Amino acid sequence: MRDIVRFSVRQRAEHASVMVLFTVLVITGMPQKYYDAAFSGTLVHLMGGVGATRLIHRVAGVLFALTIVAHLGVAIWQVATRRLSQLAIVPRRQDYLDALATLRWYLGLSKQKPLFDRYDYRQKFEYWGMVAGSMIMVATGIVLLFPVVIGSLLPGQLIPAAQVAHSMEGLMAFLVVIVWHIYNAHLNPDVFPFDWSIFNGKISRHRMIEEHPLELARIEGVPVESIVPKPETPASPGKQPVETPAG
Amino acid sequence: MIGTLLIASLLAQARPAEVDKCLACHGTASEIRLNSGEVLNLRIDAETFSRSSHMRKLACTDCHASLKNATGMHPVQRFDTRREYTIAFSDACQKCHFTNYKESLDGVHRARIDAGRMEAAVCSDCHGAHEIGPPGEPRSRVSDTCATCHARIAQEYTRSVHGQGVLSGNEDMPVCTDCHHAHDIADPRKAGFRLRSPQICAECHTDAKRMAKYKLSTGVLRTYFSDFHGATVKLQAGRAGEVAAVALCTDCHGAHNVTKVSDPHSPVLKSNLLATCQKCHQGAKADFPAAWLSHVEPSATRAPLVYLVKLLYRFLIPFMIGGLALQVILHLWRIVVNR
Repeated sequence: MRDIVRFSVRQRAEHASVMVLFTVLVITGMPQKYYDAAFSGTLVHLMGGVGATRLIHRVAGVLFALTIVAHLGVAIWQVATRRLSQLAIVPRRQDYLDALATLRWYLGLSKQKPLFDRYDYRQKFEYWGMVAGSMIMVATGIVLLFPVVIGSLLPGQLIPAAQVAHSMEGLMAFLVVIVWHIYNAHLNPDVFPFDWSIFNGKISRHRMIEEHPLELARIEGVPVESIVPKPETPASPGKQPVETPAG
Repeated sequence: MIGTLLIASLLAQARPAEVDKCLACHGTASEIRLNSGEVLNLRIDAETFSRSSHMRKLACTDCHASLKNATGMHPVQRFDTRREYTIAFSDACQKCHFTNYKESLDGVHRARIDAGRMEAAVCSDCHGAHEIGPPGEPRSRVSDTCATCHARIAQEYTRSVHGQGVLSGNEDMPVCTDCHHAHDIADPRKAGFRLRSPQICAECHTDAKRMAKYKLSTGVLRTYFSDFHGATVKLQAGRAGEVAAVALCTDCHGAHNVTKVSDPHSPVLKSNLLATCQKCHQGAKADFPAAWLSHVEPSATRAPLVYLVKLLYRFLIPFMIGGLALQVILHLWRIVVNR
C-alpha cells in the first residue's frame, strides 16, 4: 500500500530541533532542579561542572526559544497572507465531541471509534500543551537569565516565582513526554516500536484509514464511507478545514 | 608558707630526676649567639616548666631526644636562626601527638612553610614550648593565640556577635578553631573551604537545641540550598577545580565580623540588603532584594506569588500526568478487549 506524505521538511526539521534541544535541556536542567540527588553531581561533573552545564542549558534554551518563535512566526505569516485560511491544528467543537466519543469507545459503550481528521484531539492537546508550556519556559527562562534587569523593572518576587514555575513546568513537560509522547510514538501497539512519520514525513495508507480517515477521504476526493467500512453510527464530522498546512 | 613549701616539695618529688640534671646548666642564664646574629637564651625557668601540662609526665629528653643518654656537656646542635630551630623541633611533638601532627601536615600553615614562608605557625608557636598548657582554657584563649599573628581578623572577631559571646563566657559561641579547625586548617581562600563553609555554619545553625536559646531558625541551611546560590554550591561540592561565582553564608552575613541579623550594621538588614546584593549583582535596583526569600518558606503571607505558583503546580502536575496515564491505560485496555 502506498504511503502518504504527512509532514513537510520544515515540520520534520522543527520536530528534530525540538527533540534534540528538549533532551539537552532536560539533561542539563534536571540536575539543577534535583541538586541533592546523586545522579546530579555525576551528571554535572561529566558535563564539565556547574558553569558549563548552565552554559549548555542557556544556549539550548535560546535555540529552543528561536525554534518556537520561528514556528509560530511562520504560522502567523501563513494565516496573515491567507496561505491558510484556517489551521488544521486549531481546536474546534468537534474535538470535544471526539474526546467524549473516544472515552465511550474505550469504555465499550460504543462500537466504533470516532473518525479523525488531520489531527485528532490528542495531537491537538499535545501540540497546544507544548506551545503553552514552551511560552512559560521561555518567559521564565528569560527572567532567570536576566534577574537584575527584570528586578529593576518588575517586582523582585517574580524572580523566585519564575524559578519555581520554570522548575515545575519543566518537570511536567518531562513527565508528559515520558508518559504521553513515548506511549503515542513508541509503545502504542498501533505504532510500536517506532512511529517514523515525523522523521521520514510519510504515513501508510493503512494508518491513515485507522487514524485520519476524514483527511484521507478529502485527499482522495471520495466520501469517507467508502474508506471506513461499517459506519454503524456514523460520526458527523461537521465542516472540516479543507487546507493542509503548507510545507 | 608551709603550704607553698609542701606543694614545692611535692612538685620537686614528682619531677623526673633527669630534669634536675638538665637544669643544673639550663637553670641559669646562658646566652649563645646564632650565625644569624640572634641571641638565644638557653635558660629554662623551672617555675614555668613546673606549671606546664608536660610536667611530671615528660622528661627533657623525651622531646629533646637527640640528647638522650648524653653525659656532661651534650653535643652542640647547629642552627643558623632561631626560626630554623623552632621549625625543625616541631617534629618532636608527633611522638605523642601523632594524630594532631598528621592533621597539621594538611594544614595551611604547613603548606606555607613548605612554600618557604617560615613565619607560618608550627606547634610551639600556638601551644608554647616549656610553658605548654591546655590550649582552650578559657575558650577565649584560642582567639588570643591566633591573634598573635592574625591581629586584624581577631579584632574584627572580638567585635562580632560570636566573639562577644565567647568573651562573656558563652559556651555556645564559636572560637576560631570551631570553624577553621586547629591542626588541619584549610586555606579559606580555596574552593574546597568555601564550598564546605555553609556546612560549617550549619553545624551550629541547624542544631535545634542551641538555636532555640536564641530564637534562631534551623531552616537556614535548607532554605539556602533550595535557592539558586545554595544549589550552585551543592552541585560543585566535592568537585575540585571549579568555583562558579556564588554567594555563601559569609558573603552576605560576613565572616569574622558577623552580626545579629537585627543589628543596624548587619549587611542583611533590609535597609542594607540592596548594597549587599550589589556586591555581586552590579546594577541591581530597588526591588531586587525581594528576589531573595530571606530563608523563609514561601507562604500565603510571605512571598505569596511564589507560594501560589508552587501550589498550582502541586495540583496541576498530578492532575495532568494522572489524566494522561489514565488515557493510556484505557487505550491499552480497549486494544486488549478488542483482540
